[in-house]
Amino acid sequence: MNSFSLSFRLLLRQSRSGALGLLAAGLVVATAALVAVSSFTDRVGRALEREAGEALAADLIVAGRDRLPREYFELAESMGLDTAEIILMSTAVFVGDDSMLIDVKGVAGGYPLRGELRLADRLGGEDEAVRAIPERGTAWLEPRGLRYLDADVGDTTELGYSELTITRSLVFEPDRGGSRFMLAPRMMVNLEDLLESELLGPGARARYRMLVAGSENDVDAFTREIETRLGEEQSLITVADAEDQTGLALTQARRFLGIAALTTVILAAVAVLLSALRFSHAQRDLVALLKSFGATGGQVMSALSLMLLWLVGVAVVLGGLAGLGAQAIIAQILAEGPAGALPPPRAMPVLSSGLFTVLLAAGFALPPLLNLRSVPPMRILNRSLDTRVGLKGLLWVLPIAGALAIPVLQLGHLRLALIVLGGSALLALTLALGGWLAMTITRMLSKRATSAWRFGLAGLHRRRAAGIIQVTALGLGLMSLLLLMLVRTELLEQWRGSLPPDTPDHFLVNIQPDQVEDFEDELIRVGARNLQIRPMANVNLVGSSGTIRQDDRMAGQINVSWIDELPPANEVIAGEFFSPEATGEVSLADMWAQRVGARLGDELVFESGARQFTATVTSIREVDWNSFNVNFFVLLSPEAGDILPHQYIASFYLADGDGSVLRPVSRAYPNVSIIDVGAIIERIGEIIDRVSSAAQVVFFFTLLAGIVVLLAALEATRDERRHESALIRTLGADNAMVGRGLLIEYGVMALLAAFLATIGSAVTGWLLARELFEFTYQPSWQLFAVGFLAAVVLVIGSGWLGNRSVLATPPVRILRTGR
Amino acid sequence: MSDSIQQILRAQHVGFSVQAPGGRLDILNDISIDLNAGQTLAIVGASGSGKTTLLGLLAGLERPTSGDIWLAGEHLNRLDENERARLRRRRVGFVFQSFHLLPSLTALENVMLALEIAGLDRPRERATRALDQVGLDHRMAHYPRQMSGGEQQRVAIARAFAGDPSVLFADEPTGNLDRNTGESVARLLFDLNREHGTALVLVTHDLNLARRCGRIEEIEDGRLVTARAGEERDRFRLVDKG
Repeated sequence: MNSFSLSFRLLLRQSRSGALGLLAAGLVVATAALVAVSSFTDRVGRALEREAGEALAADLIVAGRDRLPREYFELAESMGLDTAEIILMSTAVFVGDDSMLIDVKGVAGGYPLRGELRLADRLGGEDEAVRAIPERGTAWLEPRGLRYLDADVGDTTELGYSELTITRSLVFEPDRGGSRFMLAPRMMVNLEDLLESELLGPGARARYRMLVAGSENDVDAFTREIETRLGEEQSLITVADAEDQTGLALTQARRFLGIAALTTVILAAVAVLLSALRFSHAQRDLVALLKSFGATGGQVMSALSLMLLWLVGVAVVLGGLAGLGAQAIIAQILAEGPAGALPPPRAMPVLSSGLFTVLLAAGFALPPLLNLRSVPPMRILNRSLDTRVGLKGLLWVLPIAGALAIPVLQLGHLRLALIVLGGSALLALTLALGGWLAMTITRMLSKRATSAWRFGLAGLHRRRAAGIIQVTALGLGLMSLLLLMLVRTELLEQWRGSLPPDTPDHFLVNIQPDQVEDFEDELIRVGARNLQIRPMANVNLVGSSGTIRQDDRMAGQINVSWIDELPPANEVIAGEFFSPEATGEVSLADMWAQRVGARLGDELVFESGARQFTATVTSIREVDWNSFNVNFFVLLSPEAGDILPHQYIASFYLADGDGSVLRPVSRAYPNVSIIDVGAIIERIGEIIDRVSSAAQVVFFFTLLAGIVVLLAALEATRDERRHESALIRTLGADNAMVGRGLLIEYGVMALLAAFLATIGSAVTGWLLARELFEFTYQPSWQLFAVGFLAAVVLVIGSGWLGNRSVLATPPVRILRTGR
Repeated sequence: MSDSIQQILRAQHVGFSVQAPGGRLDILNDISIDLNAGQTLAIVGASGSGKTTLLGLLAGLERPTSGDIWLAGEHLNRLDENERARLRRRRVGFVFQSFHLLPSLTALENVMLALEIAGLDRPRERATRALDQVGLDHRMAHYPRQMSGGEQQRVAIARAFAGDPSVLFADEPTGNLDRNTGESVARLLFDLNREHGTALVLVTHDLNLARRCGRIEEIEDGRLVTARAGEERDRFRLVDKG
């Protein structure tokens, strides 16, 4: 019989063996989890890239303070790129007697080059996608603007010297992007109307933009060319600059799901290893028999390798199908949410997951099988010529490294992957060490114990090596299950809670100093909560004692504020925040300092009008930009208020989100812009909800992998237990005594594994919260107490159920087995 | 049973059958055996003849499908598994071909475990004495893996006798040992049997070992072919290990 047909027969005949079933289950679960998550993250990744492009309404933007030269457009068009021109400016707009600061966007044909506009026929009407720009003499106004101006479609608005008819309600524009925080409501008009409105004269603070879109290569070529031509006050804006809070949340979701998948893969790998060891152990007689019939070590090796290959084939097909099904469910859950309709799945993630399964099997399952080569044929005559099936040599290191590299690469976040892998390895080591210690202690205790206790405690020591592996595997399995519980309950809850209920959802800009007190009273009267009012001045960064990158977009003009104490959602990470009495000091946000190149101790020179002043950088802050508080890159010491012309900016939470209560405020103070960001907060909340739902699907695989590990760990010593149970029952022990012995053995193992797993999950949860969700996790001891007890019950329960056959083993078995 | 004081083991018309794919398979048929305290009985027969099954039935490890067995005055048919276990722990000792010592326990602990299961007092003292009797006083703290096959079997014999059983069941006790070691273990087994006055039921292929017993019963195709000690023993178609 050749190795090929032998491998088939082996697979078919062993298919009923528990160990082979667990080996297959481990491979299927690992494949399914990786296919599901990698395929899903691939789709989300592509959707995010698409969204990022849409967030610019283009692939690239050339921005300037003056109208961009015609030659730029001609250059782009000559390179096969699409172009469109837009002009942005803020101005007061009137409808009847009402007026407010409006962000006007003049658009030319072709706009938007990426994404689409959504318009409604009236305020609150059903919106639809539209591929057009406003016709001459018409304007599209955002619903917020319509509400504050008490206007609707059909009304006439004044824009400079032009009169325009509002014809549509502008519900969505793709390039609202990251700047939406600082903008007043949008009014979109035809570019020609804006040019003729005479608002763009000298001194007008308009922003001119050229939108470019095309193939990646063409855009890259254009970028390289235009960079050499850009003049002063001209810059490029790329998709990388466009990521906003929703993109950030989706990126976090991808990472989170990736970590869940990586954990699943690690667990499945442990399950595969355990079941392969057990399976190999059970094959020693068969191998000895085959060898005694004349099979060579090479033939046995190739038959076993081929058998594993068939098994991998089955696992890839089953796991691949299950994974594709799961990713479709995840995509369905998220498609109704922020990611929109996802691009279709590609074959690549499935293929790489297939490769992963092959490597996983080669790294974790093949070595124990190949070690069967060394089983001597003499074993058939004398079982004492035993060959322990273990892991010898370094043969498997490469495939293991390869197998783990695939999910790490697919996770796309090396630091997080290393935390998960390193954490798992550290935990496995700790568990193994704990297991070894427990075995030693129980060995000492068993000397003082009697009957059932001696039997139970000695049982741990008896299977010391297997026991250490069991405690490690059980600990890992339990930790993943506890972590699952933790993430499902507390972590996601606290992540959601990281946006407190009174997170500011409205901003007011351009409040004049003499209006501050009245405003404060008025806002409190209409029910504003968590009100913060901060001074703000616009200055130019003109020099530094250190080296700064003045060509960076973040250098130059900058909004600054001053304060006498560290504001909320800020943490000093270098230096010391200035005291209320300090003068000439400045505190920088870490992100800004890094971009501009400013360092602690640098003296920065700012200019405001004709006045220059110097401030020393005495602290660097980490700012939680997701807190929606008013935050500034640059905070000056309080005396700055005396020398800088300034206005105020306020943030607050308004329970009545539609802003109608603010209409009298906006009428009384037409210079003040009201910005409503409630929709963004709602959108982030929605993302968190949907990510939680999608995570459940991945967690299902983690749960399966955890259960497979538990079963594989328990299965590993079942034969030995059955034999021992038969022996002591032959010696006169009744079922109760054998049961007590098992209970004691599993109880000690369960306590140990649950204890270590509880600590491990708490530490991992804290790390996950810090690294992934970016908040400080506060574990609750009740949850861990419940988790610990549940873990103990789970291990004892499954150990008990899994060993019913031990109690049912007739003692006469001892006479029949030669062991 | 009027003679139950002397009679330690009695089997009457015992049969044992199992359900096999081709229908019911009779393993033992109409076996009757009597054994008094201190007597020795060898059960011999070819492989598959049913002798190990008979040993299991006589020791109360399994229940016969027909017939009756009394062990130490107790009717085994009427006892459930736990009651039979209780009877074994008080009255029965075992010696196996493969020793069956727990590898993680020392020689002393292996002997103590059986005494503790039997609920006897001073297990350490009794186990120490038992090991001393088999000449292993210097090996008490050793683990089975640190001992030779003969030493392991001597630990098993010490374990079997430590609780002063009424009857000892031995299944091929010298089967895994070389000739000299087997001889010395057999001598020890029979010496202790005489010393403790224990009845002995021995299942073996070894003709020399069987000849040490007062009586030999041969099983052939599940039925007993009785031979009196010293008279017809040479006619047994046995495989002499020597």
